[in-house]
Amino acid sequence: MPEWDDREIIKAVKIPGQEEIAFNQLVKKYQERLYWHVRKIVISHDDADDVLQNTMVKIWKSLPDFRSESGLYTWLYRIATNESLSFLKVKKKKSFAPWVDVEQKMSDNLEADPWFNGDEIQLKLQQAILKLPEKQRIVFNMKYYDEVKYEEMSEILGTSVGALKASYHHAVKKIESMLGED
Amino acid sequence: MKMDRNKPDLQHESLKKHPFGVPEGYFEGFSTRLQQRIREEESSPVPERRMGPTTRWLAMAAAVLGAALITTAIVRFTGTGDSNGLYPDMALFEQLEIFDNDLYLYEYLASESPELSDEEAFTLQAEEYLATNDVEMDLLFDQ
Repeated sequence: MPEWDDREIIKAVKIPGQEEIAFNQLVKKYQERLYWHVRKIVISHDDADDVLQNTMVKIWKSLPDFRSESGLYTWLYRIATNESLSFLKVKKKKSFAPWVDVEQKMSDNLEADPWFNGDEIQLKLQQAILKLPEKQRIVFNMKYYDEVKYEEMSEILGTSVGALKASYHHAVKKIESMLGED
Repeated sequence: MKMDRNKPDLQHESLKKHPFGVPEGYFEGFSTRLQQRIREEESSPVPERRMGPTTRWLAMAAAVLGAALITTAIVRFTGTGDSNGLYPDMALFEQLEIFDNDLYLYEYLASESPELSDEEAFTLQAEEYLATNDVEMDLLFDQ
């Protein structure tokens, strides 16, 4: 069955009896892209699976009310980002050792993670990225790995293009500096 | 071309590859698991909770105490800072949208660097934050 385009999905969602088919098409089309976006924020596969499911459930509930002012993908990406950040917030609150940084724990666990396939330098890069503030980390990942345009990123994150460019520039400087350390 | 491991180049293709993997068949099975979860959520009603009289009194007492604590915190932390206040400038904190962990970092920085005055420690932290985060500069100078 060929992949539906966004207009077809949005149109079918509004037709009684077609909502589930439209939603399944949406999941099939976007699950991988959203998964990888979430995974880069929460790092662990199990956590990314939880967050992706939460994201899709939220999308299922909100889809009938979706207004086409922003593109469908921008809207989905925004929900996934917010769900990831909420997840991390809850994780920090639930931590038995709140004085230990959650990102530091994620960084420490990375090497032993069975779903981390990177080499030594990639490990170092991921650990450097985890040292960035949360939002800056998301900006860096979206630009560096996904090559999202600043204008699109601005719609997703609700931040000005100028601020995003500055944030990415500083992120690159910090990471290069950390990678250069022995 | 191989990257020099002693001088990592962020633009090198080997670094731009995703270092993460997924279990085999994960994406193929995702939709089925998701549908199962949605069905379960939609078919299980939220259980009705009933409060006994003791629980009701405890809940009321907790609500009153919570309101008193929040009121105290608001009175203590609002308004512009002064040299005797705990934080130099809470209005600036609010505008920078610094969350709990950043306040904790501020306290940690102040305690770990006793040679810095509270104001210097805060200024360093604020400068770093402004330089690296997406703070709307208009907010800082809004009159």
